[in-house]
Amino acid sequence: MLEVRGVRVAYGPHAPPALDGVSLDVAAGECVALVGPSGSGKTTLLRSINGTVPLAAGSVRVDGVEVAGLRGRELRRLRARLAMIAQQHDLVDRLTVAQNVMAGALGRWSTLHALRFLVLPSAAELAEARAALASVGIAEKLRARTSELSGGQQQRVAIARALVQHPVAILADEPIASVDPALGEQIVALLCDLAHERRIALLCSLHQPELARRYFDRVAELVGGRVRSDRRTERASLVRRGYAG
Amino acid sequence: MIDTFFPPDLSPAYLRALLVPVAQTIGMASAGMLVAFALGVPLAVLIGTRAPGHRFIIGALSSLRAIPDLTLAILAVVVVGLGPAAGIVALALFYTAMIGRVYGDLFLAADGAPLEALRATGAPRAAIAAFGLIPLTQSDLLTFGTYAFECAMRASIVVGAVGGGGIGTELVGALNALDYHRSLTLILVLVVLVAAVDTFGILARRTPRLVLLLLPLGIVSLWLNPPVLFAFGHAIHTFAGMFPPQLRPAQIVSLPLLIAQTLAIAIGGTLLGALLAFPVSLAAARRLAPLGVVLAIRRALDVVRAIPELVFGLMLVVTVGIGPLAGALALGIHSAGVLGKLYAESFENVPRAPVDALAATGARALPIVAFGFVPLALGPLVVHTLFRLEWNVRAATVVGLIGAGGIGQALFQAQQLFFYKQMLAYVLVTWALVALADWLGERLRLRLGWHFVAG
Repeated sequence: MLEVRGVRVAYGPHAPPALDGVSLDVAAGECVALVGPSGSGKTTLLRSINGTVPLAAGSVRVDGVEVAGLRGRELRRLRARLAMIAQQHDLVDRLTVAQNVMAGALGRWSTLHALRFLVLPSAAELAEARAALASVGIAEKLRARTSELSGGQQQRVAIARALVQHPVAILADEPIASVDPALGEQIVALLCDLAHERRIALLCSLHQPELARRYFDRVAELVGGRVRSDRRTERASLVRRGYAG
Repeated sequence: MIDTFFPPDLSPAYLRALLVPVAQTIGMASAGMLVAFALGVPLAVLIGTRAPGHRFIIGALSSLRAIPDLTLAILAVVVVGLGPAAGIVALALFYTAMIGRVYGDLFLAADGAPLEALRATGAPRAAIAAFGLIPLTQSDLLTFGTYAFECAMRASIVVGAVGGGGIGTELVGALNALDYHRSLTLILVLVVLVAAVDTFGILARRTPRLVLLLLPLGIVSLWLNPPVLFAFGHAIHTFAGMFPPQLRPAQIVSLPLLIAQTLAIAIGGTLLGALLAFPVSLAAARRLAPLGVVLAIRRALDVVRAIPELVFGLMLVVTVGIGPLAGALALGIHSAGVLGKLYAESFENVPRAPVDALAATGARALPIVAFGFVPLALGPLVVHTLFRLEWNVRAATVVGLIGAGGIGQALFQAQQLFFYKQMLAYVLVTWALVALADWLGERLRLRLGWHFVAG
């Protein structure tokens, strides 16, 4: 689903490359954790996949579509099906939870549709938001103000927004960096379950190698802008042998 | 109808003739500000060091500030006589209140620890100010001081309109003589003047010593236009003649209507300003529009802001006729200039992450504005608009002068007919109305968590 081939990214003509010949595949329904020290290029890799960072060399394909060179409407069309989840603080706290969740549909809605939804949401739209919230376990928060939610709940809202995009892939950039460890594990488990169940390709950067080994199918380690290792986890071999699902 | 103003009269003879009024306007603003600093800074130090009675000073300055500059100018003309001296007195009073109040607030908000250390040495108030308060707040003092000077330059044109001299007097004369080409010349001169002050402000923030240039300007101007001690007896007599303030029963009955008219002009003008400013501000925000467009729109907004409400009012009376509509339109256009800039800055200041997240869903530009920029900037947008409404209550009494109706018109008519007791009654009503609006606005802004917004 995600095919990264020989990607090179540099933030300036004389700067050392942030990514240097990175290749990585993520299949539909596969969960890949991206680990490595700060500054190793994890965020740059995720951003180059959704077309925010231009490539100096190499290619990125999402569902068979080459990302490099996409602009305007075509880039929007790609991003509509490629969900991003950031650390935190990327919700609009003055909007309601339902409005934040349905912001995931903005990529496929016309401008008029989007404005109409803010003033007069239809029953079907609210039902869709509720369903997305139910799959992250907080359906009851539909009408709450986003600013009233806890950090963990806000991260669940961000995941629900990603689900509303009906994504082929989810790119998560340290989604648990600002929540406590127990909550972090719950969120990682939720993300991986959803990806497996809905056959979404998940590429998630993490600072916790043990969580990565426990929940993900593969762990890729980035160091200095290169892939140092890319291994199947124990979980993956257990699944192959039928012990885990 | 607006084309009646074109082309402006740019003949060398007329431009030469304008040198004196331009000098008068600059002189009035400099002299007024000089006095305002000389009186306002010590008062602010008393407030900032919490001297005995500082609460009374705050109250007195707030009350004085609630009298619009034009109303002060009308009073000053009555008491001091026509000419720049009246303008200087009005500006000095109004800006003493403004400088004293705002600098006092800045001093009160200054970092306590260094001040505590100074106080512990047993230093007197003046030393605490010189070694603590002023250096601690220097950049804010300069920013606000140059902003106040810019306002004073605009106000010096407004007070000219009631006979304070300078470009304002010329402009009213030209409009009354139906000489629209020269009116436009005067408006252009005004725009250039305000732009020059604006540039001066930017330079002064970089090189604070430039502020000292105002000193000789102000002194010369005060020397040439001494506030009139030659008719001191007359001034006291006239002032005493205003007491007790009085209104006829019919005038008392019509007061609610006048107040409603004034409020309608203020609210209508603010609404119009906000409606015009919103789309314009989107094109004036660096994160929403290409740099070329942003710079062009910002420049246009600068020009609109440079022209006071009263001058727009004078121009609009020619095109839409006298009445509250001209007043509301005048306030609306000027407010659009102010709000357009402030809204754009609010949009530029919203946090990046939520907006980036919306863009990452593939959303189009307008939905990103509606789902991201607007809700994220809602607090500042509301506060700026409320602050402008507060200001517009004041401005609505000022545009009454050109026949826009309301309290301002009644006040000006009473002055023109020498009914000074009535005039003072209307001054008091104006004062109460503006003070009430200021008080309500301040409470509302405090509630929203924003105390002070310059604009």
